[in-house]
Amino acid sequence: MTALRALVRKELASLFGTPTAYLALTMVALVTALIFFDHLRLYNQILFVYASATMGGFATDSIPDYVNLWDSVFFPVMETLGLTLIGVVPLVTMRAFAEERARGTDELILTTHLTPGQIVLAKFGVAYLFVASMMAVSFLYPVMAIEQGGLGLEHLSAVYLGLVLHGIGLASIGLVCSAFTSSQLVAAISAWAIAFLLWDLSWASSFVGERVAEILDALSIQPRYSSFAGGVVSLANVIYFAGIALVSLAAARFSFDLRRVSG
Amino acid sequence: MRALALAGLIALAFGLGSYYATGERTLYATLNLGAGALALAAAALLALRRLRFAAGSHSRRVLLRGLLGVAGALALAIALERAAAWSGWRSDLTFEQSFELAPATRKALAELPRELTATLFHDRFDPRARNTRLLLASLAEAGPVTVRERLLADAPEDVDRFGIAGSNTVVLTLGSRFETVERPLEATLYEALYRLRSRTHGVIGVLRGEGEGDVSSSAELGFSGLAAALATEGYELHSLVTSSLAEVPADIDVVLLLGPRRALLPESIAALERYLERGGRLVAMLEPGAQSGIEPLLARWGIEAPDGVIVDPAAGASSGGDPGVDPIAYNYEAHPLARGLNPDRMTFFAGARPLVPHNVGAGDSVRRVVLASPRSWVSPDLSLLSRRSGRLEPGTAPQDYHTIAAAGRYPRPGGEARIVVFGDSDFASNRYLRALYNLDLALNAVHWAVERESEITLRPKLRTPKQFPLPLENTLRTFHGVGLLVPELLLLAGGLVWLRRRTA
Repeated sequence: MTALRALVRKELASLFGTPTAYLALTMVALVTALIFFDHLRLYNQILFVYASATMGGFATDSIPDYVNLWDSVFFPVMETLGLTLIGVVPLVTMRAFAEERARGTDELILTTHLTPGQIVLAKFGVAYLFVASMMAVSFLYPVMAIEQGGLGLEHLSAVYLGLVLHGIGLASIGLVCSAFTSSQLVAAISAWAIAFLLWDLSWASSFVGERVAEILDALSIQPRYSSFAGGVVSLANVIYFAGIALVSLAAARFSFDLRRVSG
Repeated sequence: MRALALAGLIALAFGLGSYYATGERTLYATLNLGAGALALAAAALLALRRLRFAAGSHSRRVLLRGLLGVAGALALAIALERAAAWSGWRSDLTFEQSFELAPATRKALAELPRELTATLFHDRFDPRARNTRLLLASLAEAGPVTVRERLLADAPEDVDRFGIAGSNTVVLTLGSRFETVERPLEATLYEALYRLRSRTHGVIGVLRGEGEGDVSSSAELGFSGLAAALATEGYELHSLVTSSLAEVPADIDVVLLLGPRRALLPESIAALERYLERGGRLVAMLEPGAQSGIEPLLARWGIEAPDGVIVDPAAGASSGGDPGVDPIAYNYEAHPLARGLNPDRMTFFAGARPLVPHNVGAGDSVRRVVLASPRSWVSPDLSLLSRRSGRLEPGTAPQDYHTIAAAGRYPRPGGEARIVVFGDSDFASNRYLRALYNLDLALNAVHWAVERESEITLRPKLRTPKQFPLPLENTLRTFHGVGLLVPELLLLAGGLVWLRRRTA
């Protein structure tokens, strides 16, 4: 247990002891703030134009359907942030296993009586913690802006949950890629490729039959992630992201076996 | 092997990048995707072959166990996801529960006397049919509804029989009766359901003759929308001409007064007072600046309506007047009439006069129902309603929760009289009836007045009221205070870490 605690501490220190983590946090927080503010400003402007005297006040018939908080603010913000996370999260996770492997320090950790499963759990746990804190600092501004408008935070909490789960899914993919290579660059590029591939598989629908297209749709991240933006938290979607984490944990654990055998 | 895998990944990345950039399946994208997949497959095969020759039986067992672990995790994840999808559990956290059926729809479905058939008629490739199908499926989950689908091309006889004008039309059939809904939304289906049930809740006497709102006018400031909604909910509307009103007929369940512009005749007011003394019901919508002549009667029944305009800085400028003269109310007292309304469910009033309710007789109960914000005040300057002079200040006027709507119950020997008074009538006009929760407030007031409290509900919206402004001033302040400050601090921390590492 002491060894595990020490490993978690070491992982946290190595993550927050490098400027990369802070740069990633800054980038996501800044992108969130800028995009959110810009969409909110635009939404307000359009709303007040339509709500002006000549356009019929706040009678909903005079305001087009698409001018609303989720179509004008939440959906575009989520979409952009989802893609931003695909770019940022692998940059943070690429070091987790690959750097240790390149330096040979992974052998040292294995001599601490920690099982490969515990090592994997510790590294995944720290990465998830980082993703959750990344989303928390990014969401300070949207939460305060929405709260000031008196609109209630339930929908925004669904958006936040979707982003955290998406981040956890991406971190899992990034960690697996890092576990199978000693090159940080390869880890990051392969994580980007897999994440982009899984992001939206609807492109493959024109190649395959309807049944296969449905399966590909079920495998895609984007439709499930979008449903959180819509304010609906579905158990199936939560389990989908948890499933990515579970399979990634098992695959990262398998990478230790593979290393042991292939040398 | 590694070179092959790397080449495969790069080819896949470029293939996908090309697809996302152009949105088309070009030859370049196809070739890259194909070559990338082949290279990855070849790399995987080579890796397996290498392991097969390099590893002994113990190593193979270790690998097999690891692979089984991955396969087991994958199978477990798929099984759990499928089970969750099958259970259909989900939580709707939207502001208006827009993915859930409204309480009124659920109630209407639960009260169906027999099985209802909902048939969706559509063209084969009509994309709107998908949403309608989902909506009908949710109706079927909530009540005895059988859902059917017919292609328009296959059902020419039904097209004639039900008068179907185009694709994506739903026909609701209950016994021998049917309703055709050409724009199938929850709100329109709910109204059709209500019409199919054909229940009568009472007769409304609508006063006319002194410039009251016209229930037959479909103009913006007419009240045909309110009349249609009342008819849908089972009320018959009878006109009562005030100039010849000697007595309110006995079959009238409630009298509706829609913002008279001139004072009612004393004889009409006396007839109304006798009607109330017999246990009658009155729903009165007044207007600031218009003396209806009914104010003294209302004062005797505990609801004073001094002339003036409520100015509520919580509301912006919206219908030509000064900012704040059109209150958006979000404060409701706990009263059956306002059941379901809360600070998230606002109502809009286009200029409202204040009401001052107070109990006058033993056993009487006069209560406030809808209130302006605590920052509101009353201005005697009625010209505020039509001119635009910028920011208004309360001066010495007291700021408080001013009453926009009040309701009273008065036990009398002939029965319990009930009065509901609104300081505005425009909120129920065609222009504003469907805004926010105005329709619910107006209809629930009538239901409460006639003691049909079980009918008080929140109805599905034709459009979801999710179009509220967020004060830009606050947004900008928060953006600078938090939106930019947090990344700045993070970057500062990152810079310090970088400097420390360099000097270490």
